[in-house]
Amino acid sequence: MKEILLIFIPTLTLVPAAVAAALAMRKISSTALEGMTRQPEIAPQLFTSMLVSMALVEALVIYCLVVALMLAAKV
Amino acid sequence: MAESLAPHLPWIVLANFLLVAAILVVLARLAVARPLTERPGARQNAAEAALDWFVAQARQVHPGRVGLVAPFLATLFLTILFSNLLAVLPVPVLQIPPTAWYSGPLALALVSVLGGLVIGARISGVKAAFRHLFWPNPLQLVGEASHVLSLSLRLYGNIGGEYLVAVLAAAAAPWGIPLVIHALGLIPAVVQPLVFTLLTVTFLSTAVHADRKA
Repeated sequence: MKEILLIFIPTLTLVPAAVAAALAMRKISSTALEGMTRQPEIAPQLFTSMLVSMALVEALVIYCLVVALMLAAKV
Repeated sequence: MAESLAPHLPWIVLANFLLVAAILVVLARLAVARPLTERPGARQNAAEAALDWFVAQARQVHPGRVGLVAPFLATLFLTILFSNLLAVLPVPVLQIPPTAWYSGPLALALVSVLGGLVIGARISGVKAAFRHLFWPNPLQLVGEASHVLSLSLRLYGNIGGEYLVAVLAAAAAPWGIPLVIHALGLIPAVVQPLVFTLLTVTFLSTAVHADRKA
Protein backbone atom coordinates (compact mmCIF):
# COMPACT_ATOMS: atom_id res chain seq x y z
CA MET A 1 0.00 0.00 0.00
CA LYS A 2 2.76 2.40 0.97
CA GLU A 3 4.60 1.80 -2.30
CA ILE A 4 1.46 2.47 -4.31
CA LEU A 5 0.86 5.72 -2.41
CA LEU A 6 4.49 6.65 -2.90
CA ILE A 7 4.03 6.33 -6.66
CA PHE A 8 0.59 7.85 -7.00
CA ILE A 9 0.56 10.87 -4.69
CA PRO A 10 3.50 12.74 -6.24
CA THR A 11 2.37 11.75 -9.73
CA LEU A 12 -1.17 13.02 -9.16
CA THR A 13 0.25 16.24 -7.70
CA LEU A 14 2.70 16.90 -10.49
CA VAL A 15 1.06 15.67 -13.69
CA PRO A 16 -1.91 18.11 -13.82
CA ALA A 17 0.45 21.00 -13.02
CA ALA A 18 2.83 19.96 -15.79
CA VAL A 19 -0.01 19.60 -18.31
CA ALA A 20 -1.44 23.01 -17.42
CA ALA A 21 2.01 24.60 -17.59
CA ALA A 22 2.65 23.01 -20.98
CA LEU A 23 -0.59 24.49 -22.33
CA ALA A 24 0.26 27.90 -20.87
CA MET A 25 3.77 27.81 -22.32
CA ARG A 26 2.37 26.82 -25.71
CA LYS A 27 0.19 29.92 -25.64
CA ILE A 28 3.04 32.17 -24.47
CA SER A 29 5.57 30.96 -27.01
CA SER A 30 3.22 30.88 -30.00
CA THR A 31 1.93 34.38 -29.28
CA ALA A 32 5.45 35.71 -28.75
CA LEU A 33 6.70 34.10 -31.96
CA GLU A 34 3.76 35.53 -33.85
CA GLY A 35 4.56 38.98 -32.50
CA MET A 36 8.25 38.58 -33.36
CA THR A 37 7.51 37.62 -36.97
CA ARG A 38 5.03 40.45 -37.39
CA GLN A 39 7.33 43.05 -35.86
CA PRO A 40 10.97 41.87 -35.93
CA GLU A 41 12.17 45.27 -34.66
CA ILE A 42 10.75 44.66 -31.17
CA ALA A 43 11.83 41.01 -31.10
CA PRO A 44 14.44 41.45 -28.29
CA GLN A 45 11.90 43.06 -25.95
CA LEU A 46 9.32 40.38 -26.76
CA PHE A 47 11.91 37.68 -26.12
CA THR A 48 12.70 39.06 -22.65
CA SER A 49 9.03 39.35 -21.76
CA MET A 50 8.47 35.81 -23.03
CA LEU A 51 11.25 34.48 -20.81
CA VAL A 52 9.86 36.25 -17.74
CA SER A 53 6.31 35.00 -18.37
CA MET A 54 7.59 31.47 -18.90
CA ALA A 55 9.53 31.68 -15.64
CA LEU A 56 6.37 32.74 -13.82
CA VAL A 57 4.44 29.76 -15.24
CA GLU A 58 7.29 27.40 -14.52
CA ALA A 59 7.48 28.53 -10.89
CA LEU A 60 4.01 27.08 -10.29
CA VAL A 61 5.15 23.65 -11.49
CA ILE A 62 8.18 23.87 -9.24
CA TYR A 63 5.91 24.66 -6.26
CA CYS A 64 3.99 21.48 -7.13
CA LEU A 65 7.28 19.57 -7.39
CA VAL A 66 8.25 20.75 -3.90
CA VAL A 67 4.82 19.78 -2.52
CA ALA A 68 5.10 16.39 -4.24
CA LEU A 69 8.53 15.78 -2.74
CA MET A 70 7.26 16.74 0.71
CA LEU A 71 4.27 14.39 0.31
CA ALA A 72 6.54 11.59 -0.87
CA ALA A 73 8.71 12.10 2.20
CA LYS A 74 5.62 11.91 4.46
CA VAL A 75 4.18 8.69 3.02
CA MET B 1 28.44 9.92 -4.73
CA ALA B 2 25.92 12.42 -3.39
CA GLU B 3 25.33 10.40 -0.20
CA SER B 4 28.97 10.36 0.87
CA LEU B 5 29.26 14.10 0.26
CA ALA B 6 26.02 14.97 2.09
CA PRO B 7 27.55 15.90 5.50
CA HIS B 8 30.00 18.29 3.82
CA LEU B 9 27.49 19.97 1.52
CA PRO B 10 27.20 23.28 3.46
CA TRP B 11 30.95 23.70 3.22
CA ILE B 12 31.00 22.68 -0.44
CA VAL B 13 28.31 25.26 -1.23
CA LEU B 14 30.27 27.93 0.65
CA ALA B 15 33.59 26.97 -0.95
CA ASN B 16 32.11 26.92 -4.44
CA PHE B 17 30.53 30.34 -3.92
CA LEU B 18 33.99 31.60 -2.86
CA LEU B 19 35.46 29.98 -5.99
CA VAL B 20 32.89 31.77 -8.15
CA ALA B 21 33.72 35.05 -6.40
CA ALA B 22 37.43 34.48 -7.07
CA ILE B 23 36.77 33.73 -10.75
CA LEU B 24 34.67 36.89 -11.07
CA VAL B 25 37.32 39.05 -9.40
CA VAL B 26 39.99 37.66 -11.76
CA LEU B 27 37.75 38.22 -14.81
CA ALA B 28 36.96 41.78 -13.72
CA ARG B 29 40.69 42.47 -13.23
CA LEU B 30 41.42 41.03 -16.68
CA ALA B 31 38.70 43.16 -18.25
CA VAL B 32 40.34 46.37 -17.03
CA ALA B 33 43.95 45.12 -17.15
CA ARG B 34 44.82 47.17 -20.22
CA PRO B 35 43.88 50.86 -20.40
CA LEU B 36 40.53 51.33 -22.14
CA THR B 37 40.85 52.37 -25.77
CA GLU B 38 38.57 53.94 -28.35
CA ARG B 39 38.99 50.88 -30.59
CA PRO B 40 38.18 48.06 -28.21
CA GLY B 41 39.68 44.61 -28.53
CA ALA B 42 37.72 41.42 -27.95
CA ARG B 43 38.10 41.56 -24.16
CA GLN B 44 37.05 45.18 -23.77
CA ASN B 45 34.22 44.65 -26.24
CA ALA B 46 32.78 41.72 -24.26
CA ALA B 47 33.04 43.62 -20.98
CA GLU B 48 31.40 46.70 -22.49
CA ALA B 49 28.56 44.66 -24.01
CA ALA B 50 27.82 43.06 -20.62
CA LEU B 51 28.04 46.43 -18.85
CA ASP B 52 25.73 47.98 -21.45
CA TRP B 53 22.99 45.42 -20.76
CA PHE B 54 23.15 45.95 -16.98
CA VAL B 55 23.07 49.74 -17.41
CA ALA B 56 20.01 49.43 -19.68
CA GLN B 57 18.24 47.33 -17.05
CA ALA B 58 19.21 49.72 -14.25
CA ARG B 59 17.80 52.66 -16.28
CA GLN B 60 14.39 50.96 -16.10
CA VAL B 61 14.56 51.06 -12.32
CA HIS B 62 15.70 54.66 -11.95
CA PRO B 63 17.44 56.61 -14.71
CA GLY B 64 19.26 58.84 -12.23
CA ARG B 65 20.74 56.12 -9.99
CA VAL B 66 22.33 53.73 -12.49
CA GLY B 67 25.56 53.68 -10.49
CA LEU B 68 23.69 52.28 -7.49
CA VAL B 69 21.51 49.69 -9.25
CA ALA B 70 23.68 48.34 -12.09
CA PRO B 71 26.47 46.84 -9.88
CA PHE B 72 23.84 45.07 -7.77
CA LEU B 73 22.19 43.51 -10.84
CA ALA B 74 25.54 42.62 -12.40
CA THR B 75 26.73 40.91 -9.21
CA LEU B 76 23.55 38.84 -8.95
CA PHE B 77 23.58 37.86 -12.63
CA LEU B 78 27.26 36.95 -12.87
CA THR B 79 27.31 35.07 -9.54
CA ILE B 80 24.34 32.91 -10.56
CA LEU B 81 25.63 32.39 -14.11
CA PHE B 82 29.09 31.25 -13.02
CA SER B 83 27.66 29.13 -10.17
CA ASN B 84 25.49 27.29 -12.71
CA LEU B 85 28.37 26.94 -15.18
CA LEU B 86 30.54 25.24 -12.51
CA ALA B 87 28.65 22.07 -13.51
CA VAL B 88 30.71 21.83 -16.72
CA LEU B 89 34.04 21.66 -14.85
CA PRO B 90 35.59 18.18 -15.05
CA VAL B 91 36.73 18.30 -11.38
CA PRO B 92 34.88 16.08 -8.85
CA VAL B 93 33.86 18.38 -5.96
CA LEU B 94 34.32 21.76 -7.61
CA GLN B 95 31.77 20.85 -10.27
CA ILE B 96 28.86 20.83 -7.78
CA PRO B 97 26.96 24.05 -8.53
CA PRO B 98 26.19 25.90 -5.25
CA THR B 99 22.79 26.78 -6.76
CA ALA B 100 21.84 23.07 -6.88
CA TRP B 101 21.29 22.96 -3.06
CA TYR B 102 18.50 24.97 -1.55
CA SER B 103 20.70 27.02 0.79
CA GLY B 104 22.49 28.62 -2.18
CA PRO B 105 19.41 29.91 -4.05
CA LEU B 106 17.82 30.94 -0.74
CA ALA B 107 20.83 33.08 0.11
CA LEU B 108 20.77 34.67 -3.35
CA ALA B 109 17.02 35.35 -3.14
CA LEU B 110 17.43 36.92 0.33
CA VAL B 111 20.23 39.12 -1.03
CA SER B 112 18.00 40.10 -3.94
CA VAL B 113 14.97 41.04 -1.83
CA LEU B 114 16.82 42.64 1.11
CA GLY B 115 19.19 44.41 -1.27
CA GLY B 116 16.14 45.62 -3.17
CA LEU B 117 14.74 47.07 0.06
CA VAL B 118 18.03 48.82 0.84
CA ILE B 119 18.29 50.22 -2.70
CA GLY B 120 14.67 51.37 -2.52
CA ALA B 121 15.51 53.15 0.75
CA ARG B 122 18.61 54.75 -0.78
CA ILE B 123 16.66 56.00 -3.80
CA SER B 124 13.42 57.21 -2.25
CA GLY B 125 14.26 57.52 1.44
CA VAL B 126 13.85 55.22 4.45
CA LYS B 127 10.36 56.52 5.20
CA ALA B 128 9.06 55.80 1.70
CA ALA B 129 10.64 52.32 1.75
CA PHE B 130 8.85 51.50 5.03
CA ARG B 131 5.62 52.87 3.60
CA HIS B 132 6.05 50.57 0.61
CA LEU B 133 6.19 47.62 3.04
CA PHE B 134 3.02 48.57 4.93
CA TRP B 135 0.96 50.48 2.36
CA PRO B 136 -1.81 49.92 1.16
CA ASN B 137 -1.86 47.07 3.71
CA PRO B 138 0.67 45.03 5.70
CA LEU B 139 0.10 42.10 3.33
CA GLN B 140 2.92 43.66 1.29
CA LEU B 141 5.23 41.98 3.82
CA VAL B 142 3.81 38.60 2.84
CA GLY B 143 4.39 39.59 -0.78
CA GLU B 144 8.07 40.26 -0.08
CA ALA B 145 8.41 36.89 1.66
CA SER B 146 6.76 35.19 -1.29
CA HIS B 147 9.25 36.90 -3.62
CA VAL B 148 12.04 35.22 -1.65
CA LEU B 149 10.27 31.86 -1.94
CA SER B 150 9.47 32.12 -5.63
CA LEU B 151 12.93 33.37 -6.67
CA SER B 152 14.78 30.74 -4.66
CA LEU B 153 12.50 27.81 -5.53
CA ARG B 154 12.62 28.63 -9.24
CA LEU B 155 16.41 28.71 -9.33
CA TYR B 156 16.73 25.63 -7.12
CA GLY B 157 14.12 23.64 -9.08
CA ASN B 158 15.77 24.31 -12.41
CA ILE B 159 19.44 23.90 -11.56
CA GLY B 160 19.01 21.29 -8.80
CA GLY B 161 16.60 19.28 -10.93
CA GLU B 162 18.95 19.30 -13.90
CA TYR B 163 21.89 18.32 -11.69
CA LEU B 164 19.87 15.48 -10.14
CA VAL B 165 18.93 14.17 -13.59
CA ALA B 166 22.59 14.34 -14.66
CA VAL B 167 23.70 12.41 -11.55
CA LEU B 168 20.99 9.75 -12.02
CA ALA B 169 21.84 9.40 -15.72
CA ALA B 170 25.54 9.09 -14.91
CA ALA B 171 24.72 6.29 -12.46
CA ALA B 172 22.53 4.48 -15.00
CA ALA B 173 24.54 5.03 -18.20
CA PRO B 174 28.01 6.45 -17.56
CA TRP B 175 28.97 6.97 -21.22
CA GLY B 176 27.49 9.49 -23.65
CA ILE B 177 24.11 10.23 -22.09
CA PRO B 178 25.39 12.50 -19.26
CA LEU B 179 27.16 14.59 -21.91
CA VAL B 180 23.86 15.23 -23.70
CA ILE B 181 22.15 16.11 -20.40
CA HIS B 182 24.95 18.48 -19.43
CA ALA B 183 24.71 20.12 -22.86
CA LEU B 184 20.94 20.56 -22.43
CA GLY B 185 21.57 21.87 -18.90
CA LEU B 186 23.51 24.80 -20.36
CA ILE B 187 20.19 26.33 -21.49
CA PRO B 188 18.65 26.77 -17.99
CA ALA B 189 22.13 27.64 -16.69
CA VAL B 190 22.07 30.77 -18.88
CA VAL B 191 18.32 31.48 -18.84
CA GLN B 192 17.84 31.27 -15.05
CA PRO B 193 20.25 34.10 -14.10
CA LEU B 194 18.57 36.20 -16.79
CA VAL B 195 15.13 35.47 -15.31
CA PHE B 196 16.37 36.08 -11.75
CA THR B 197 17.84 39.45 -12.69
CA LEU B 198 14.81 40.51 -14.75
CA LEU B 199 12.44 39.65 -11.90
CA THR B 200 14.67 41.57 -9.46
CA VAL B 201 14.44 44.55 -11.84
CA THR B 202 10.65 44.21 -11.93
CA PHE B 203 10.34 44.06 -8.12
CA LEU B 204 12.77 46.96 -7.69
CA SER B 205 11.05 49.17 -10.21
CA THR B 206 7.60 48.53 -8.72
CA ALA B 207 8.98 49.48 -5.30
CA VAL B 208 10.69 52.64 -6.55
CA HIS B 209 7.87 53.77 -8.85
CA ALA B 210 5.14 53.15 -6.24
CA ASP B 211 7.07 55.38 -3.86
CA ARG B 212 7.43 58.06 -6.50
CA LYS B 213 3.67 58.20 -7.02
CA ALA B 214 2.80 58.17 -3.30
